[in-house]
Formats: sequence, structure tokens, C-alpha cells
Amino acid sequence: MMINQLAFGPWLDYTVNGLIIGNIYALLAVGLALIFGVANLINFAHGSVYTVGAYLGWASITYLHTPLPVTLVIVITGSALLGVAIERVGLRALHGSSRIAPLLATIGISLVLDQLVQLFCSPDPRALASQLPDLRIQIGRGTIGTLDLLIAGVGLVSATGLYGFLRYTKLGWAVRATAQDQDAARQMGVDTDRVNVTVFAIASALGGVSGLLVGMYYNSIDPNMSFDATLKGVVAMMIGGLGNVPGALGGGLLLGLTESYGIALFGSSYRNLFAFALLILILVAAPNGLFGRRRDLPPEPMTGTFIARSRPLRLPRALVAGVVLAAALLPLLPAPYLLQTLTTALLSALLALSLTLVAGTVGQISLGHAALLAIGGYASGLLALDCGLPFVWSVPLAGVITALLGTLLVFPALRMQGHYVSIATLGIGEIVTLVILNWTGLTQGAMGLTGIPAPAIGGIELTSVRSVYWLVLVLVVAIALLQTRLLSGHLGRTWRAIREDEVAARSYGVAANRYKALAFGFGAFGAGVGGAITAHLYSYIDYRTFDTTLSILALTMVILGGLGNVAGAVLGSVLLVSLPELFRAAAEYRMLAYGLVLLVLIRYRPQGLLGTV
Amino acid sequence: MVPPLLQVRGVTRRFAGLVAVNAIDLDVAEGELVSVIGPNGAGKSTLFNLISGLDRPNVGTVHFAGQDVTGLRPERLAALGLARTFQHGRVFGNLSVIDNVLVGAHVRLRCVRPAVPLLGPLIELGLAAWRPAAVRAEEQSLRADAEAILALFGDRLLPRRDQPAYSLSYANRRRLEIARALALHPRLLLMDEPTAGMNESETAEMQVLIGRLKASGQTLLLIEHKLEMVMRLSDRVLAMDDGQRIAEGLPGRVRNDPAVIEAYLGHHALGSAEPVA
Amino acid sequence: MVSRRQFIVMGAAASSAALFRRPTALRAADATITIGVSGPQTGPNAQHGAQWVAAFDLAIEQIAAQGGPHLRYVFEDSQSEPRQSVSIAQKFVNDPDIAIEVGDFSSTASMAASPIYQRGKLVQFGMTNSHPDFTKGGDYMWSSSISQAEEQPNLADFAVNGLGLKKLAVLHLNTDWGNTSKTLFVQAAQALGAEIVAVEGFLPAERDFRSTLVRIRDTNPTGLILEAYYADAAVIARQVHDLGLKQPIAAVSSVYSPKFIELGGDAVNGIYTQSNFFPDDPRPEVQAFVRAFQTRYGRQPDGFNATAYDTFILIGELVRQFGGTREAIRDGLTKIKNVPSVVYGKISFDPDTRRVAGARYERLLVKDSQFTLWDGSRPAI
Ligand SMILES: Nc1ncnc2c1ncn2[C@@H]1O[C@H](COP(=O)(O)OP(=O)(O)OP(=O)(O)O)[C@@H](O)[C@H]1O
Ligand SMILES: [Mg+2]
Repeated sequence: MMINQLAFGPWLDYTVNGLIIGNIYALLAVGLALIFGVANLINFAHGSVYTVGAYLGWASITYLHTPLPVTLVIVITGSALLGVAIERVGLRALHGSSRIAPLLATIGISLVLDQLVQLFCSPDPRALASQLPDLRIQIGRGTIGTLDLLIAGVGLVSATGLYGFLRYTKLGWAVRATAQDQDAARQMGVDTDRVNVTVFAIASALGGVSGLLVGMYYNSIDPNMSFDATLKGVVAMMIGGLGNVPGALGGGLLLGLTESYGIALFGSSYRNLFAFALLILILVAAPNGLFGRRRDLPPEPMTGTFIARSRPLRLPRALVAGVVLAAALLPLLPAPYLLQTLTTALLSALLALSLTLVAGTVGQISLGHAALLAIGGYASGLLALDCGLPFVWSVPLAGVITALLGTLLVFPALRMQGHYVSIATLGIGEIVTLVILNWTGLTQGAMGLTGIPAPAIGGIELTSVRSVYWLVLVLVVAIALLQTRLLSGHLGRTWRAIREDEVAARSYGVAANRYKALAFGFGAFGAGVGGAITAHLYSYIDYRTFDTTLSILALTMVILGGLGNVAGAVLGSVLLVSLPELFRAAAEYRMLAYGLVLLVLIRYRPQGLLGTV
Repeated sequence: MVPPLLQVRGVTRRFAGLVAVNAIDLDVAEGELVSVIGPNGAGKSTLFNLISGLDRPNVGTVHFAGQDVTGLRPERLAALGLARTFQHGRVFGNLSVIDNVLVGAHVRLRCVRPAVPLLGPLIELGLAAWRPAAVRAEEQSLRADAEAILALFGDRLLPRRDQPAYSLSYANRRRLEIARALALHPRLLLMDEPTAGMNESETAEMQVLIGRLKASGQTLLLIEHKLEMVMRLSDRVLAMDDGQRIAEGLPGRVRNDPAVIEAYLGHHALGSAEPVA
Repeated sequence: MVSRRQFIVMGAAASSAALFRRPTALRAADATITIGVSGPQTGPNAQHGAQWVAAFDLAIEQIAAQGGPHLRYVFEDSQSEPRQSVSIAQKFVNDPDIAIEVGDFSSTASMAASPIYQRGKLVQFGMTNSHPDFTKGGDYMWSSSISQAEEQPNLADFAVNGLGLKKLAVLHLNTDWGNTSKTLFVQAAQALGAEIVAVEGFLPAERDFRSTLVRIRDTNPTGLILEAYYADAAVIARQVHDLGLKQPIAAVSSVYSPKFIELGGDAVNGIYTQSNFFPDDPRPEVQAFVRAFQTRYGRQPDGFNATAYDTFILIGELVRQFGGTREAIRDGLTKIKNVPSVVYGKISFDPDTRRVAGARYERLLVKDSQFTLWDGSRPAI
């Protein structure tokens, strides 16, 4: 033991710790990989199934006093049924619509499930005691317990079991055929519906068991554990290779080790920075994951793209002008709460306009867009506080800084495609947040920026709700008009050509990276200005003001309005900011109602309210 | 002697466990129409990818217009005047017919895409928003040209100019693909099975069109399974099988080459109207 | 529960009608005073909103029973997000029925809404907002949040002088609260002659602390200091246990909650902490609160409950003494003295900092899964 210590020092402990947490990531990643492999879908509801599994186990232990094997059976059955329900009720109807619709549906399902758990089981964390005898084994100077071994065992057994199932059984063969090409598999007589249900059942059962085991490991479960679980699971899956089941296992372990060594070297507030940096590195250097086989040129697509086929609604000019006029006259009514809410909506619209250009028009589904608001907000706040720049200068300058920095940051994502872009931007967004948190010298770290001066033009403070509303309205209208103008010219068709088929577009001389960067830059400017104004309105921002949930919200706004649709982005923002306000009377049921409305919308209008442009 | 427009020397492309293209040489001179034939999986489309920059050869070089273009990115090759169509059709589904053709003319945009290093993209953004007279005039002339190209296809495409491409029939999408390629005003046009999936009268129509293109001096490299058409149009033919060249020369000679007959019999009947998918 | 829902529904109806109604003067004697609460009822901090509600309902009932003013509250869910707290602020400011605002939970949400409350001349009572700059937002920003400037020296004294720990490692939540706490603790402990060998910040959603703890272990501290809320602290304590670290742990008062023991299990035995109140404390205000809470909810209150309860008792007293208009309440805050409080004993505000000084601390030790008063004995090191 002593020699061991001298030889490895604490590194043995770091390694063991990395493997322990990596185990948990691996378990999550395996379920996600299975679903991705078949449905070509990042299942954002996976973390929620994990939470439901944990609570099922808790309920069965607390109320039925079940022993571990029975608890496991209950959790497996319950979670598998939940998976079936998600596939049957939430996703199957979306088959054949654009590929983005199911992604959004899983986000909506996740919202609904989390809210249900919270309503039924209270938001307070609960203790979930381990039902295993706590035998501990000394390794290095730390110990590992029976639960650690069980978690590792479940991960290993499920990954090898699934691998075998996919390789050597008839149903497994059908699953792989479906994964290759749903339509072709169906024509060959594979019952793809059955395959999808089976896969969701297996993956969800695994997710539920993970929730149970992890809950026991920490002796603590709460309704909010789902988002982080999904996030880390997705990163681990990505490292192992999208949809690669055994790879997911390796990805999880590698992620755990990286975090652990990152903490060892730089301290725990850098942990996620390391996780996401590893993600970006892998996406750039080995886009198919560390354990993926190299796929050369993607095969020629037969039909279909990421974006739904749609004919957008043509809004008559008079109608648009009328709405803008009405919006401009609205402050004449004595309704400050309405104005405040609409101001928030219009500020979100600046983000949504940016995202609808990037995600809708150019087809680069960004999941980290709120980081642009953070960059803009901090840039303008710091310019005002540290350099004494007045509002009228700091805000546009913040827009320019955001455009430059934002474009620079997404650079690694420009050469990626499809889901890889989404995950990379998610990671880049997290990195921005973490840099803000850790770069204390510049950003005050966790303390945030306080005392950011209120908006003022020519020495006159814009303090009334009315004046701020008008300011933001003018900006939104200006940026929307400019964006519409760009879309009607050569840039519009070039951007959309990249979205429709990047390979074909490049073959006709479109330098895809240049045009993607242009769209990001232009969009980042608007978003940066939005973030800057928000910072001055709030007077205080910190690293949590513009977080990932806001990025996801912005994406729902854009998809709801219709991808690429300028008017749709504004409409989506107004709806998604005011709906929760309208549901206020529903108190704790508010977010549940919101989630359900979202799901209904996706189901019946996957191309968005105003249609994809 | 003037070097040929396209000069392919010894290109080889290996995929895991198979050599898709094996040491192929190919020359296409200005104004020539050369066809590549061969059974399914012979490596024809892969060869096109290697020429058009979508894929890089493991070995070998490609010269185009006197310049070594091996491994150059496709957008650079397009700028040099190389256009191609795709075997399975890759029109931009949600773009209108006319916009599809205009994307094909992208490399001909000069005013709005000034060749300024570093600031070029920003200037392009500014010009696109501002649209000075020169930019508008350029767009107008490209649009007129695009309509003229659509008119080559009679009333197949022109009346549908503002419809989204996904609403077109299969044959019309193939035509749009060619229209888009022509909009580049290519020095060399690569066509990958332009008549795949077309019925007899449509094929005949396409044959007339390609004949007219050739007559107008367009240099063409064609992949085609319908040998009837190949024999009638081509100046020279390259036959491939299993990635290798099995015959090359005048159409009549290649057609009667025993290796070619053997290759086709080994796979499927010679000159059948439909390639086996 | 039923009564609360009625409150909310009434409140929502009232405030939407209020958009177009002219303000009317309120008098304490004959009207119900409405308190606007902005806080999390859904989202990651929802449990704190639920803790508030339990305490609010209890306080309202007790005030009414003692013949005090009739209070009611409108709870608007902000999810503790700034985007929503600003809309809520505008709503409250324009609702003439609202006499005072309480919340939000996080400083991120509170401080974004401060300019609106300040301009609207409505008191924003940030009872949990310990960010040092919160009350600097204007003279309508008040807070009874326990000042870390006070608590941390106390904790440092407990750890260094009381427990005799001289080489300390600090593990803190990396938010404005945790960061302030950490900085103040480090200053105070160093002033007392202790050495700080490690400082580690962790993110709000973090669950895995093993590697952080190894890093801390290798700096050979004699004691561990936790600046964390109870749920995180319990998870940390378990992993300390798993890693075989034997150093004594002293934790900030935010871990004082029955949940800490439930979530931490055996691993939290032997942890030292402090609390602003303790159920066995004989003071009548503590006894009244703890007993009433136990009877009504069948569980022990925690620090968040106590803070929320205190706030409503304070508002009741403000209204009773000074009247129920917004201005009266604001002026009352500058004058009010010695309101009985669970957390402070007696609450009085410093009119310049708009904060309360003089929180009371009981030093505690977790023994046999119970919080017990510390008997003054030092741990073996
Ligand atoms: N990206 C790739 N990765 C792996 N193998 C590939 C790839 N592209 C093509 N191949 C293989 O290379 C061989 C040649 O394919 P290619 O598409 O060039 O044939 P082809 O002559 O165009 O056939 P067809 O007449 O059917 O179009 C085939 O066996 C094919 O499976
Ligand atoms: Mg081919």
C-alpha cells in the first residue's frame, strides 16, 4: 500500500474518482446512444426519464417497502412503459415531419415530466437510501462501495448486452436496419414502429435504473436533476461517437477522467470547462467520436433535409405594418405590466431573430445562442462601468464585440454538420458561461456586474417603461427589416442553399464557411445589442442571467414561429414570453401548462406557426 | 500542343477494404464530350467526386485548365469553371426553381462579392443590404440569364419558376439540376446519369438537349448507362469496372471490346434502359 | 393549502383588474394589506418557494389571531429568473393593492428587478438577498438576510477558537452568496491566526465532489469549512465519509435543516454548524414559532422557514405601527425598533445600510442524527 502511494500519489485516487463519476455518465450515454442510433434523435427527455426512475424507486421503497430486486423490477417496468408512452404519444406522430420536430418534442416532454415529478413529489430533495450492504473496498487512500461496483456492472452489462442484441438477434438486426434508413427498412418489411417502441423501452428502462442507482449513490434525488444528467450524458455520448453504444461507455469514462484530472490540476470550478473543452476538441479532431469508425464523404441523400417542406404564410404588408403601428401606439394605454412583458418579449426577439437566421435560414441549429447575450451584456456593462462609455456608445460597440467574438468562437463549429453543430454550440455556450464565472479579474466572477447604469440617450435617462419599450421596439423593427432585406437578396438564397444541401452548394462555388460566419456575425450583432440593453435595464447581471435554458427557450421560439421566418421569430418570442405570464393564475401548474401547449403546437404545426421560409 | 482542359493521372481512391477508383487516367479536351460507362459500383461517381473536389484521391493528380487542382475544395473548382450534377439529384428543395438556378450562378456574382481580403465578407454584407445600382444591375442580368437557361427546357421549368423545387416532378428536378449547372457557365460540365429514372421520350428530349450543348461548344464529361445515347453523343468513351479502366477510345471500339461485354454481362445486360438500382 | 390557492387566485384576479383601476388609499385598520411575493414556485429553486409559503401561511394566521392587521399575499412565480422577476416587479408596482414586495430568492433575479421597484417607490424586501450590493440598489431595497459579514467571523471564531482548527480548507458554492461567504470567512479566520490551505468553489448543480476532496485532502488541513446549502452539504459530507477523510467539518448556518440529516444519513454525524435559532431555545418567539410550525406541518422548521416567518411578522408589525401604505411602510422601516424575531431575537434596521445587525447564533453539533447544542468540547485532531 505504501509503495503504491509513493508511486502514484493522489493520481490513483483521481483516476478512481474519475472512473466512478464516469460510470454514471456512461450509463446515461448508453441510453442516449441507443436512441440516437435508431431514431437519429438526441433525446432531451432522457434525463427526465432518469428522474422519474429515481422517484419510482423512491416511492416503491418508501410506500411498498420493496427489497432491491423488486424495486429494480418496478423501476425497469415503469420506465420502460414511460419510454413506450413517449414514443407512442409524443414522437410517432411526428415521423415524416422535419427532423427538428422530434428534438423539440423531447424538450417539451422533458419539461412536462419534470413538472409532474415536482408537483407530485414536491420540489424538495428526498433521501433515497441505498438498499445494498455498504461494504467498502480500500483503493488508494479512498474507498469504493458496492454501489459503485453495481453501477459499473450495470453499465458494462447493458452495453455488452445491447451490443450483442444488436449484432446477433433478429430484432437487433431490424433495429440496425432501421437505424440505417427508416424508409428502406420499412420497405424491406421491418416493422419500424415496433423497433422504435422497443428501443425507447430499452433505453428508458436503462435511464430509469440509472436514476435509481445514482439517486442511491448520492442518497438524494430532486426534480431538477434531469437537465444536468442529459447534458453530461450527451457530452459523453458525443465523445464516444453519436449513436455508438459501446463507444458511449468509453466516452462516459473518458469524460469522468478528464473532469477528475481537470479538478486535480486547476480546481473544481474548472471542471465543466474541461468537460466542454474536451467535447469541442473531439468534435473538431474526431467528429465521429473516439471510438467511431471513420466515415468518409456522407452518402448522397435520396430525399429530404433537416428542414420541413413548407410554404410559409405570406403576411400581407398592410397587416405587418398595422401590427407594428399598433405596437408603437400601445404605450398610450395605461398598461405598464403589459409593456414590461412585451419589452422582455422584444428583447428575446432580438435573440430569436439572430437564431432564426443561423438555425432556420442557414440550418445551423445552435443550442448555445444565449451566450451571445452574455457576451453583449458583459461587454456593454464593462464598457460602461470600467471605461465610463455612455449607453449610446457601449451598446453598439457591444454588438460589434459580440459579432467578432461570437464568430470567432463558433469557428470550430462551422465545418460541422447537423447534430454536431448543435452539440458543439451547446458546449461553446457553456464554455462562455464558465469563462465568465472564472475570469474573476475581468467579470467579477460569481459576484456579477452591479450598478450598470440605466439606458440614457443624450443625457436623458430612459427610465419609464414606455421609453424603454419604444427603444427596443425600434431596434427589433430595424433589425427585422434589415434581415428581411438581406434574405430577399443573393445572401438569402445562398444561406438557404447551404441549409438545404451544403455539398451541392459548395459544388456551385458557395464558400459555406464564409457565409455561415457572415450569418453568425450578423446575428451575433443583434443578439449582442439585445444582451447589452438587457444588462442596462437590469442594472445587474451575472453568469446565470443568460443560461442554457434561455438558449433552449430561444430555439423553441424560433421553431414555433417557423424556422428562418423573421416575423415568426418575433411572434414566437411574444408568445413564449407572454404564455407563462398568462398562465400565472395556474401557479405551480404554470410550467406544466406551458409544456403541454408547446407539445400540442409541435404536434399539429411542426413547420411553425408562420411556416419555414 | 495545348494541354487538355481536364487531365486526370493515376488517381486512386480506397475505401475500407475496397479500391473504388484504381489508377485511372483521363483527358478531356476543350469542346469534347467524353462518356464514362461501367456497371453499378464501377467507381464512376467516385471518380466524379475526385475530379470535382468533393473527395480527395489517395494517389494521383487532377489538372484542370492548366492548374493542379488535386484536393482543391469544391468551391474553388467551381470558381475555376467546373460544374457538376449529382446522380440522385440534389436540388435545393425549399428554394424556388429560379433561386436554384441563381445559386448555380453564384460564382458569377462579381459586384456584390468584391475580392477584398479579410473585409470582403463585411463589404458583401453591406452591399447586400445597400444594393447600389451596379449590384442591382448584376442581379437583373443574372436573373435574365437564368430565365434564358430555364427556357432551354421548353415549358418544363419556366412556368414553374417561382415554385419550390420539392414540388417538381422527378424528371423536372433532374432538368433543374442541369439548369443550375449551366448557370455557372462552366468550362467543363460533369453530368452523373442525367437520364436516370426518365422514360423514353424524356430521355430522347435530354439527348437532344445534350446534343445542342455539345454543338454550342460546351465541354462535357458524362456518366451514362443508356449506351444508345452514349454511342450517339460521345467523342470518346472510358469504360470502367471495379475501379479500373477496362477500355477506352472511340464509342464503336469500346462497345465491341470483349472486356466491356464481359463486364456488363457479368453484371447485367448491355444497353438495358434501366440501371439496376 | 386550500387557503393559499384561494389567495393566489384572488390575487391574480385583483391584480389584472388593477391594471386599469385608479389607486386608492389604503388604511390599515379596515383593509387587508397585500404583500407581493416574487419567488420560485417552479424550476430549480422551487423548494425554497414552498418553504416560504409554509412560513407565510403560519405567520398570517398568527398575526390575525393576535388581532393584528389582516395580511394576504400574492405569490408570483419567477422561477428565480430575471426575465420573469422584472415583469412581476412591473406588475406589483402598478398594482395599487400591493403595499410591499418580498423576494426574489436569488440575487440574479432580485437585483435585475431593483430599478423597477426603486422607480416605482415600492419597498423590495429581499429577505434572502445577501449580495453585498443588493441594498445599494436604492433606498427602497431592504433586507433582513443574515449578513455574512456577521456570520462568517462568527463561524471563523467557532472553528478556530472554539474547535481549535488552525489549518483550514474551504469548500464553497460558487455563487454571489457562496463567494461572499468564502471571502469573509477567509479574512476572519486569517485574522484569528488560522492558515487557509485550500479554497475550492463548486457549481450549483454539482454532485460529485470526490476529486475536489482529494485535492483538499492533499493540502493536509486540520478542518473543513463548508459554505453550502443543506442539500449540497449533505452530498459533500457523504463523499468525505467515502474518501475516508477524518477531519472535523464546520458548516455555515444554511445547512441547518432537518433535510440535511435526512439526506446526509450517518455521514453528517459529527459535523459542527451554527444556527440562528434552535428549537430548544427558550426564547418565547422561538418556542411559539417552532411549536406552531410542528403542529401545523408535522415537521421541524429550518432556517429558510424562520427567515420567511420573521419577515411576515415584521410586516405585520410595520403595518400595525405605521399604517399600510407604501410610504408608511418605507418610513416605518427606518424607524421600527426591536420587533421580536426568531433569527435575530430583535430586529432593527440600520437606516444607512438598510440591513439588520445582530443575528443570534447557537453553536451546534450533529450527534446521533440530531442537531444538539455544542457542549464546548473540542474534536480530536
Ligand atoms: N463514401 C464511401 N465509403 C465507402 N465506400 C464507398 C463510398 N462511396 C462509394 N463507395 C463504394 O465505392 C464503389 C464505387 O461506387 P460508385 O458510387 O463510384 O459507383 P458507380 O460506378 O457510380 O455506380 P452506379 O452506377 O451504381 O452509380 C462502390 O462499391 C461503393 O459502395
Ligand atoms: Mg454512380
